[in-house]
Amino acid sequence: MENVPFVLTKLPSKSIMFYCIFSHMKTEQYKIIEKYLIKEFVNRLFPISKVVAPVYKGFGNYVFEEIKSEENVTFKYIPTILPPKKYLLPKKETILEFKKNQELIIQPVVEYENLILFGVHTCDIAGFKCLNKVMSDTPKDVSFLLRKEHIVIIGIECNDYCDQYASCAFVGAHLPTTGYDLMFTELNDIFIVHVHSSKGTNIVEKTGLFKPATDAHIKELRELREKKAKIFYNEIPTERRYIPDLFDRSWNASVWKELEEKCLSCGNCTAVCPTCYCFDIAEEVDLTLKSGKRFRIWFSCQLDPFAKVAGGIDFRKERSARQRHRFYRKFRYHVDRFGMIFCTGCGRCSRTCMAGINLKEVLISLIKESEAKIWRKWL
Amino acid sequence: MKSKPKVAFFDFACCEGCQLQVANMGELLLEVLEIVDIVEFREIMSEKWDGQFDIAFVEGSITDEHATERVKKIRERSKILVALGSCATIGGVNGMKNSFPLEEVRRYVYGEFHKFFPTVETKAVHQVVKVDYFIHGCPIYQPEFLTVLKCILQGIPYYVPEYPVCVECKLNENVCMYDRGLSCMGPVTKAGCNSWCINNGNICYGCRGLTVNPNTEGFKEVLRKHNIPEDFLIKKIEMYNKCKELDK
Ligand code: SF4
Ligand code: SF4
Ligand code: SF4
Ligand code: SF4
Ligand code: SF4
Repeated sequence: MENVPFVLTKLPSKSIMFYCIFSHMKTEQYKIIEKYLIKEFVNRLFPISKVVAPVYKGFGNYVFEEIKSEENVTFKYIPTILPPKKYLLPKKETILEFKKNQELIIQPVVEYENLILFGVHTCDIAGFKCLNKVMSDTPKDVSFLLRKEHIVIIGIECNDYCDQYASCAFVGAHLPTTGYDLMFTELNDIFIVHVHSSKGTNIVEKTGLFKPATDAHIKELRELREKKAKIFYNEIPTERRYIPDLFDRSWNASVWKELEEKCLSCGNCTAVCPTCYCFDIAEEVDLTLKSGKRFRIWFSCQLDPFAKVAGGIDFRKERSARQRHRFYRKFRYHVDRFGMIFCTGCGRCSRTCMAGINLKEVLISLIKESEAKIWRKWL
Repeated sequence: MKSKPKVAFFDFACCEGCQLQVANMGELLLEVLEIVDIVEFREIMSEKWDGQFDIAFVEGSITDEHATERVKKIRERSKILVALGSCATIGGVNGMKNSFPLEEVRRYVYGEFHKFFPTVETKAVHQVVKVDYFIHGCPIYQPEFLTVLKCILQGIPYYVPEYPVCVECKLNENVCMYDRGLSCMGPVTKAGCNSWCINNGNICYGCRGLTVNPNTEGFKEVLRKHNIPEDFLIKKIEMYNKCKELDK
């Protein structure tokens, strides 16, 4: 099992966790690269494979897209409109091709390509880990797993909050732990790079711009992490281990009714979430009407037709029920099933919601309401 | 070989822009002609057809008695009838007429000759005759037209997406118009156009009509936050959706 930082069973207290991470820092696993060489590093990735990186789109928005030159990359960015999940679970993915002449020929399709994802934040890496957990479960999602094999993940650590919507420290996704091939951390004059896999070693060797890290660099990295422990705080006034209980008490919380009025069911919050994986299946034939494709397309529990079944019955008709489902899907159901919280704290859902539905505020109001209930019981 | 299905296009009160979208399909139109036989289409040919149609595309809304009779005749002659474009599917902009007394409208348009031009309130095609397929949009989105055509030829239904334009817009990863300081009807408008306008830098006008079960009250709240008066939304909704009142 992967050593994920937010496994809920027997979670160590925060200080011990930091200690564990620090004590594992082995100097020989680290490299350094001069800051002025970082653009050259990106340039040297192009001969290796297609490169995808965060690019600025204006009005405070960023997207992951293919880059052909280092000029387009932004090294500092807030989480992109869609998470890099779109490369592991494409928005519209061909899964089958069919053709009918004399006989019907059906061909399953797996779409994958070699890809370097550059500049992935730790919250999005946590998102990959969530998806990986689900897709590796039986029945395994072969397409996903094959794609993952062909992707190199190069992370960039955040030394400060991206913005006020983030809650990555609450779920422990603000620190690099596992799930990447290389992790870049900015120190005063250099980037220190954690080489975490053979794919990562390969990139280091092929680009040829790295030097070994020294103990002094490791010391600096440690100091940075200590500084980070002061900058990042627990954004939600409870601990992760109390979350399942909180949700067990919150099925009838009043906040769901409030969301009923506010939510537009636009599905933006789920489209942008790095841990959502619901899909619809569609087929398209070409104009000869003799051949065509079957697709898997992103879909969302927030949309009207999602829970409609034969006979037109909709078992999650109210917007409040759909919103509640979204939160239970992030914070409760997967704790039982996979031992993980399925929120990375990336803040995308709150950032994108034009109705102003804010994940942190919802959690805080659940906590308040639940505390009031507990007190009432005691009195 | 089995003969190709006979297809015809007709227009009522509209700008004929949706037919133009079909006529303008370029090479794809040649592929379409491989599988159907267009027997009547005023915008591209002068021939007419006096037999039965396998598929009739009807563009425009029904706005007088003459049109009512004409569309009924077309229905009788067609196996499948498709409402083409928002004027036909939801009444479209012609529906704005229904906000005023008919007498006033006639006087405004025809002045002293108004009594020679009897009129009725604007109706969408399905409010007069049975419609088998709906292709929304002002104008229609070419890929959706082709999808619907293929569904008809396969004998399967076409389901208009029952969610708002935002869904497609997000998948296209556009910068939201509200982030640009503009207003956008996407959150309450039926999807199916692949957020065509926003992809091209324009706001959504809501041309495909309100989505099923829109949260208009919640949307008013959003607009209020952006200092947009409530009246603005009502007007925007009425621009395309006025005929909806006749559905009840
Ligand atoms: S983004 Fe906001 S308005 Fe849209 S479905 Fe999600 S919570 Fe509702
Ligand atoms: S629920 Fe919101 S904050 Fe959590 S991972 Fe999804 S988009 Fe990010
Ligand atoms: S949510 Fe945390 S990890 Fe993600 S971008 Fe913001 S600060 Fe970085
Ligand atoms: S630009 Fe319009 S359609 Fe797109 S997400 Fe924003 S409100 Fe929705
Ligand atoms: S984006 Fe809006 S205005 Fe544009 S085609 Fe779609 S529904 Fe019509």
